[in-house]
Amino acid sequence: MFKHQFKYTLKTLFKSKSLIFWTYAFPIILGTFFYLAFSNIENSEKLDVIDIAVVETNEYNEDLVYVETFNRLSDDDNEDKMFNIKYVNEDKAKELLNKGKITGYFILKDKPSIYVKENGINETIFKSVVEEINNTKNMINTLSEEKIKGELIKGNQNIDYEKLYNEIISKINNYKSNIQNVSNDNLSYTMIEFYTLIAMACLNGAILSIIAINNVLPNMTGIGKRVGVSPVNKFKLILSSTLASYIVELLGLIILFIYTIFVLKVDYGSNLPLIILLALIGSFAGITLGILVATIFKLNDNAKTGILISFTMLGCFFSGMMGITMKYIIDKNIPIINKLNPANMITDGFYSLYYYDTLDRFYFNVISLLIFSGLMIIISFISLRGQKYDSI
Amino acid sequence: MKKVIEVKNLTKKYKKIKAIDNLSFDVYEGEILGLLGPNGSGKSTTINTILSLLKFQSGSIKVFGKEMNTDSYDIKRNIGVVFQEVAVFEELDVYDNIDYFCGLYIKDKEKRKKYVLDAIDLVGLSDFKKFYPKQLSGGLLRRLNIACGIAHKPKLIFLDEPTVAVDPQSRNNILDGIKKLRDNGATIVYTTHYMEEVELLCDRIIILDKGNIIASGTSDELKTLAKIEEKVTVEINNLDDRTLEEIKEFKNVDEVSYTNNNLIITYKKGENNFSYLMDYLKKEKINYNKIYSERPTLNDVFLELTGKELRD
Repeated sequence: MFKHQFKYTLKTLFKSKSLIFWTYAFPIILGTFFYLAFSNIENSEKLDVIDIAVVETNEYNEDLVYVETFNRLSDDDNEDKMFNIKYVNEDKAKELLNKGKITGYFILKDKPSIYVKENGINETIFKSVVEEINNTKNMINTLSEEKIKGELIKGNQNIDYEKLYNEIISKINNYKSNIQNVSNDNLSYTMIEFYTLIAMACLNGAILSIIAINNVLPNMTGIGKRVGVSPVNKFKLILSSTLASYIVELLGLIILFIYTIFVLKVDYGSNLPLIILLALIGSFAGITLGILVATIFKLNDNAKTGILISFTMLGCFFSGMMGITMKYIIDKNIPIINKLNPANMITDGFYSLYYYDTLDRFYFNVISLLIFSGLMIIISFISLRGQKYDSI
Repeated sequence: MKKVIEVKNLTKKYKKIKAIDNLSFDVYEGEILGLLGPNGSGKSTTINTILSLLKFQSGSIKVFGKEMNTDSYDIKRNIGVVFQEVAVFEELDVYDNIDYFCGLYIKDKEKRKKYVLDAIDLVGLSDFKKFYPKQLSGGLLRRLNIACGIAHKPKLIFLDEPTVAVDPQSRNNILDGIKKLRDNGATIVYTTHYMEEVELLCDRIIILDKGNIIASGTSDELKTLAKIEEKVTVEINNLDDRTLEEIKEFKNVDEVSYTNNNLIITYKKGENNFSYLMDYLKKEKINYNKIYSERPTLNDVFLELTGKELRD
């Protein structure tokens, strides 16, 4: 019986054009749309190289930290090149700034200073980089002094200055980890959209279980009535239909992953296995959500599907599908919504793989989804226990 | 005769409205029992309650001598149901639809295949095995609906208005199929508001109104409940009042009406009325287009008992 129900549930689901559209075609169409729309935005938002000037003073030329750092940050061979630098005197620097040829200029006399004409992203970046250089230079100076003092206290009069110099240079090189252009890295608008897209595809699996479960509930459909008078245990049929729905849903996800990876060239990075794990659990949550909607709402298939799609789209909207800002607003102002929102549990799990070094938050989301699924099953089970109805 | 269904003092309420009111009846092995009544009389509710789909407030239901419950799988195995609404999968063709529902009862694949083909043959869908429901006409769809309910060769079959909105050809096919099922030994409970079908098919009839049994018996037994024995209709143009008054004075006449050029005369007794009327018309040189005589119908019985038409 389990096999019979499973076979025919698969057959009906695969032959339903509307289900195939929502499960397979819609995520692919939306993914293609995201790819076309957001990849252009992303390209336009890549960080530009900033034009600046450095005033060549004696103090500057003698300060190895500034000279080396600015050289490296303006090196054409450097992937993280941030500046086009003109080395000029102070008057020329002022003139360039007034004419708008540069964002600002740096001058080192008694103390390091920067001059900008406006407030903007480029000015802020310039200022931040110089502050970072100052901080690191101070740190190196402190370390060097401590090291020399330490050697002198130890009674070592023959300090190896070359070694000390190398250590300083090494510290300078460490700037690379702090000052770099990260705008081309994986975590981008496009990736955020693809995460919410996967979340949506997972939750859309609920449509499959709604249709499959409706067909075994006598108070929902004529077919359900017919099944209800047959000598078959309802829960066995529901279990079989659920499994078939889950398999149809997983196939949709596999197609979505294949399409995004090989056609849209989405780079999910080294975390793909964890992303897939989360998608499997997210799909299960979607399927259980569908069981709940099927059992508690006495409406036709279309009305239930409408409710479900509205719920899913709203959930995805709150979790950042139409812009990450919405996720931040909800997380900050009404956090309970996203705590209960399965779409957010899925997208947040994906974000956490990039934002955090540990997997704690990822597994928190995985467990949240499993608890959500469990709740859906328990509520559905309770509402299904009464097998006779007041009306049908 | 062996009782297949025993319903005793069954009462079912929808909130405060009684859909079935203290209903008691039996269904005997091998018979076709007709449940006749207008829409809302409680026919479908009675069936759904017997099938344990609906809760009920009081009374008892036994099927095949055992109390019927939702988990009475041994009883359900021998029951087939054709509900009023067509309930088939749009995504499956005729064969697969029947196979799916038959598979809920019959595990053995070979046996099931034979049963499915038998059902297809019974309802005359052999040429449409690979057709999908949306490719079928309303009548063929109804036939598919019936095949899905009876393919597993049940001993007890409920047919809930299976011929609603069906063309005459399909209706005849369906009615023939039902007779075949009875001839093959099935007991059938047949609900309808088409009195002609009940008269044609049913061995016994229960007339329901507002959840109550208002009459039961064979078709002939029920017709004795009507106060008339014959109804004659004559299509006449321009009948004058004098003639009408004279006809009212004929022997056995109960009522006379003349509307839309139709003269309708009902008689309390049915002996020689037709020939007497013919002689009168000839003598008075009254021309008529059409004249025919009818025995009372179940609708007349229903009208007599409730004061309203069966199809109101």
